[in-house]
Amino acid sequence: MTEGSSLPGAIAAAPRPTRAEPVRLSSRSRRRIAGAARTLTILLVILVFFGPVVWIMLTALKQPRDVYSLSVIFTPTLDNLRTAFASPYFLGSRTLNSIIVTTGTIVLSLPIATAAAYAFSRFRFPGGNAWSLGVLATQFIPPVIIIIPLFVAFRSAGLLDTRLALIIANMSFVVPYSIWMIKGFIDAIPADMEEAAQIDGASRLRAIWDVVVPMAIPGIATAAIFAFVVSWNEFFYALVLSRQDAVTLQVGLMGARTERGDAWEIMAAMGLVIILPMLVLSRYVQRYFVAGLVSGSVR
Amino acid sequence: MASVELVGVEKRFGSFSALQHLDLSVADGEFLVLLGPSGCGKTTTMRMVAGLEEATAGEILIGGRRVNDALPKDRDVAMVFQNYGLYPHMSVAQNIGYPLKVRGIGGPDREGRVKRAAEKVELGPLLHRKPRELSGGQRQRVALARAIVRTPQVFLMDEPLSNLDAKLRVTMRAEIKHLQHELGVTTIYVTHDQIEAMTLAHRVAVMNGGVIQQLDTPEAIYDRPANLFVAGFIGSPPMNLVPGRIAGGTFQAPGITIAGAFPAAGGDVILGIRSEDVTIAAPGEGSIEGQVYASELTGEAVLVTVSAGGARLIARAPRSFRGGFGSPIALNVDAGKIHLFDEATGRRIAFADRSDGG
Ligand SMILES: Nc1ncnc2c1ncn2[C@@H]1O[C@H](COP(=O)(O)OP(=O)(O)OP(=O)(O)O)[C@@H](O)[C@H]1O
Ligand SMILES: [Mg+2]
Repeated sequence: MTEGSSLPGAIAAAPRPTRAEPVRLSSRSRRRIAGAARTLTILLVILVFFGPVVWIMLTALKQPRDVYSLSVIFTPTLDNLRTAFASPYFLGSRTLNSIIVTTGTIVLSLPIATAAAYAFSRFRFPGGNAWSLGVLATQFIPPVIIIIPLFVAFRSAGLLDTRLALIIANMSFVVPYSIWMIKGFIDAIPADMEEAAQIDGASRLRAIWDVVVPMAIPGIATAAIFAFVVSWNEFFYALVLSRQDAVTLQVGLMGARTERGDAWEIMAAMGLVIILPMLVLSRYVQRYFVAGLVSGSVR
Repeated sequence: MASVELVGVEKRFGSFSALQHLDLSVADGEFLVLLGPSGCGKTTTMRMVAGLEEATAGEILIGGRRVNDALPKDRDVAMVFQNYGLYPHMSVAQNIGYPLKVRGIGGPDREGRVKRAAEKVELGPLLHRKPRELSGGQRQRVALARAIVRTPQVFLMDEPLSNLDAKLRVTMRAEIKHLQHELGVTTIYVTHDQIEAMTLAHRVAVMNGGVIQQLDTPEAIYDRPANLFVAGFIGSPPMNLVPGRIAGGTFQAPGITIAGAFPAAGGDVILGIRSEDVTIAAPGEGSIEGQVYASELTGEAVLVTVSAGGARLIARAPRSFRGGFGSPIALNVDAGKIHLFDEATGRRIAFADRSDGG
């Protein structure tokens, strides 16, 4: 029986201070209130996180005159997307730039980061941890400080306004973080397996490829997702280093802030394209990412 | 097939010296067992032969070729790791087949050889499993199968049976012995288990503290231990060791006097006698008088621990023996089976009527 059912008798026998009364709810109603509070909190969180996404989706389909109304009933149109793909917004080529820059960053960063992570994990360097920590320490320098020298360097290399420049700039922060993510995983892989592989006849490189990499996959996947998210969303370097040919989606978004005011519906249309891969990502690979972040070890 | 030689090999980890000047020569086709307590450097020795650890000094030769600078893959050895070293992301079949895969052996040839190796270690039905779905003993057998799937120059086995149950251990022991004989592959085998060492080895190297204490046939090691360490380490129960003095041809220790053909110039010695060379007798009828301290039935015999004077001696009595705690008892020692060791150096002392030469 619940605690509540024995209450009346107990009160009759021993009167207690009235202040305690309201707290002594039956456990069933207490549970119900807790449940409601939880639901409410969840709804609030959903609103905060998904409200803007929903707003962008709706706005992208609205006609300019409906943009400022909060109504969800309107005649949807694809005009905004059409406009965004045309001059002067060039959503198509900007999307392509973003895709190429992001893919390039991932494809170049992961092998480098994996190799470096392996080296930091398995070899002892003169100076100990200084090197691997140093790699991370480079990230404490704010981008605003290095952007001017970087700009000058890219200009003299003739790389301004190229996708390669953006890839290199992205790698400057993707590679260090990826090294550390992957290193954590490789640290957890016992050395005997690659030793076994070497005795079985594999070269060190082959042992890494056959044994270490497959076991570090969760870490590499984590790094890949991280690399994707940050390079896809990268704004600052792209803003400074691109002008026309290499402009990415993120920078292109700024193009909708015209002298005639902010074209919210165009921004929303672009925003749709920007968040699309994120939605896909969160649907399919988030599981990996979470597993990678929390486990950090292999079985 | 090839011989393995270690010439003056040393290994230091930082300031810690794990192996001091190791000389070891394993003949072509020989089965050599490294036996010693935990931490004595057995695994380290193996890893140096395999090329996983660099020798700090000395030379390692396989088949007469100096391999100090050769990569593990170029040494053509197969190794069973103490902690298996299986590839967790590969199935049992892929694990066993990996050495073949690396060497470009594929298709039905590989499949057949994997199957045969797996059957030798009774893994047949588990080929599709992943290592994490196996018990410790099964993993160990996968490691073993991976080593025997091809015929290398040298087998290195680091306690390959330590995780098997008693029954399977006996079967696998015979399997390994047979296999080694059949293939004639030079084998270095590490174990803690004396029975394994005794049954498998052509020769046993008893190690302690990074030094080989004795390198000889199992019989010689058992019958003529070179020093106190070997005497106390080999045999179950360990050899009885009684410190005392030799004077006038008799051995004397508190409460114990043994007459025998002892060397005249005795001095302080330690007398060793195995439990099976000590027989029990009725009180007053033996050379050593004492009381029963404990008696343990082992199955085929009873081990009687007798306290005599200041020492405790273990005797092997027939299984019918019944003697309560503290009951008086006498012991007789087979004088021809006595071992003597120098009290100061721990070395074996050879004496007259023994044909052992030291
Ligand atoms: N990488 C290392 N760094 C420092 N010391 C080590 C290292 N590897 C082994 N040692 C030390 O060297 C000694 C010999 O180790 P080893 O692993 O060869 O022992 P073992 O005879 O195989 O013991 P066990 O029977 O317990 O496996 C030990 O004292 C160990 O602590
Ligand atoms: Mg060991």
